[in-house]
Amino acid sequence: MIRSTFISFGLHSFLLTLAYFGLPALKNNEPIELPIDIVEDTPISSKTSLKLGEAKEKKIKKINKKIEKEEKIKKTSPPPPPIPTKKEVEKKVLALKKDKEIKKIAKLIKKKPKIEVKKKNKPKPPKIVKKPEKLKNKQKEYLAKGILKTLTKPKIQQEKIKKEKRNSNQEVLNKIKTLVGNSNRQVQQTEIKLSQTELNKIQNHVQKFWKMSYGASEVKAIITLKISTNTDGSVKNVSIYDKTLYQKDKFFRATADAARRAVLDSSPLPLPKGKEKKFQNILMDFNTSFINEY
Amino acid sequence: MYKSFQLLIFQIIIVLITLISSLAFSEDLRIKINSGQVEPLPIAIANFTGEDGGSSEIGMQISTVVSNNLVGSGQFKAIESAAFIAPPTNPSVRPNFMDWTPLGIKALITGSIKNINNQQIEVEFRLWDVIAETDLIGLRLSVNSRAWRRVAHIISDEIFERLSGDSGYFDTRIVYVAESGPQNKRIKRLAIMDQDGENHQFLTDGSFLVLTPRFSPTSQEITYLAYFKNEPRVYIFNLETGQQELLGSFPGMTFAPRFSPSGEKIIMSLAEKGVTDIYTMDLNNQKVERLTKSPSIDTSPSFSPDGKKIIFNSDRGGTQQLYIMDSNGRNVKRISFGKGRYATPVWAPKGELIAFTKMLKNKFYIGVMSPDGSGERLLAQGYLVEGPTWAPNGRVLMYFKQEAPIDDGKSASVNLFKIDITGFRETRIVTPTDGSDPAWSPLLPN
Repeated sequence: MIRSTFISFGLHSFLLTLAYFGLPALKNNEPIELPIDIVEDTPISSKTSLKLGEAKEKKIKKINKKIEKEEKIKKTSPPPPPIPTKKEVEKKVLALKKDKEIKKIAKLIKKKPKIEVKKKNKPKPPKIVKKPEKLKNKQKEYLAKGILKTLTKPKIQQEKIKKEKRNSNQEVLNKIKTLVGNSNRQVQQTEIKLSQTELNKIQNHVQKFWKMSYGASEVKAIITLKISTNTDGSVKNVSIYDKTLYQKDKFFRATADAARRAVLDSSPLPLPKGKEKKFQNILMDFNTSFINEY
Repeated sequence: MYKSFQLLIFQIIIVLITLISSLAFSEDLRIKINSGQVEPLPIAIANFTGEDGGSSEIGMQISTVVSNNLVGSGQFKAIESAAFIAPPTNPSVRPNFMDWTPLGIKALITGSIKNINNQQIEVEFRLWDVIAETDLIGLRLSVNSRAWRRVAHIISDEIFERLSGDSGYFDTRIVYVAESGPQNKRIKRLAIMDQDGENHQFLTDGSFLVLTPRFSPTSQEITYLAYFKNEPRVYIFNLETGQQELLGSFPGMTFAPRFSPSGEKIIMSLAEKGVTDIYTMDLNNQKVERLTKSPSIDTSPSFSPDGKKIIFNSDRGGTQQLYIMDSNGRNVKRISFGKGRYATPVWAPKGELIAFTKMLKNKFYIGVMSPDGSGERLLAQGYLVEGPTWAPNGRVLMYFKQEAPIDDGKSASVNLFKIDITGFRETRIVTPTDGSDPAWSPLLPN
């Protein structure tokens, strides 16, 4: 707990410092800087960028959709790397000429998943896979532009783009994984919602074991216990949170000991199935005010 | 510039404090436990071992007294030693907790006796939390072997305090009026004993009538009322020296002398010309001060623990009720409004309750209420129950109970009883003769 508090403290201090230097609103004396509008550059080429006819556009869209479908399947089970042939090597050489455009596509794809990482607080992890669909609209535009540029060899170009996209998407996924680490798992954890019935079940279970003397009526503070559990519900460790009061107040000490015994006695706790991880570290607040209602 | 920097620093500190305090608990799931059971704790008291780890006679006696004390408090349930799986161990040896948990035991006491010489013994004990598998308290005492009973009471107090939070009350004494003889020729003597009825001693020989003994809250002294040659006198008896001092001879009737919390004053009621009022007497200069001036009967005064208020009973309202006033006699206020009559109020040592005797429909009750008169609870009932006195921790009351008289010339038996303030456990204190008017001492000085 102490360690995590320090880490949390450090991170927040860093964020605050970053916010202070990064956010202009915090600096009173600084002149207000006008934000710079970034306008997307349209790729310039020797050929016209006029819109195609509707029929051609539909064809291109269909091709793109096919590419996407293929990608989707391949994302879930990535294929083994193909053995390079002479033709492929030549194609790659040709493809180098179009590196700049491909890099642009790759950059765009890279940028978007970063937004996904920021959005990890949103408890919808499956969208990590789905989200790129939205990005594909933009990709489509660029792809369409790319096709426009290489109308002479559309098939080869499409294949190259496909490969690049596959590689770049894979790279992006790998990068996300390395950057975020186990965040996917954390996102899933925060998503676990507990019902009141599930909490009440544990509450009632522990209450049965909490046996105390009448002196507990003298305890005015809430007794907080920090409990760590195993996935089978067995209590791994119990510690009394307010160590100072535990040393100072003899009523608190005796009642906190009784609460600790109650938790240990009630082990294993009736944890809801599939949500055990949510109970790895829990806090229990023991309130003695009910005694005065006797 | 400096000002804005200061403001910024202040803002950062506030934000950090808020963050830290919120983050301290933010990561973990919280479950609220708002109910439990107030019930006796299952405890095992192993016989205290001898030097060689074998049995010891004194050790067995000490553990028996400790067991009786704790069980008698109503807050513990001792498990029979016959059920023990493991033999008693030395307190310095960590017990195998797995031997005790199957019996439902939550706490275990182990102890040992070591002979220092022919007279001195060293008693050591340790209290273990069987569930948390840890020791809670340990103590070593060197005493005269004849004082083993007192050692047992001290150990009981330590265990009681550690497990309940409340101060113990086992190392205390009771002074009371020992009664014997037929109804028409009753002999009333002053007697003293341990709170469990042991070490009984008579303090007076019965040649004169004694009433209402009361312990000093600060010293080993007793004040009591004695009728010597039909004249009521207030005495102070020093238990350490055995000396008796006459405080004063008062005309008319004198009732219920009681010490102030500082032990420097005595408060009592004096009857003069048909009027009974409350007076205090300064023990240093014997100056008497009158506190009430009413044509009614004001009696049974008792100070609040802080000495600022006095509770007493009076019939000034038509029936006998409880009243509170300031220690100078001002601001008199009635606090009891229930049916029946109220008498002998005594303020609890912690100040949160007042014990009283209630008379309703030819029955007597011992009850408690808050100093504002609310929360009245009746704890004990009998043909005649009267004279409640508080244990020093304010958790137990002692009083006397008289059976209904049998018309055979003999006096109905009068006995001492104690009850915890939950009202669930009433225990009779066995005395050599009948007993009435008990008064509980403070904890004995070590």
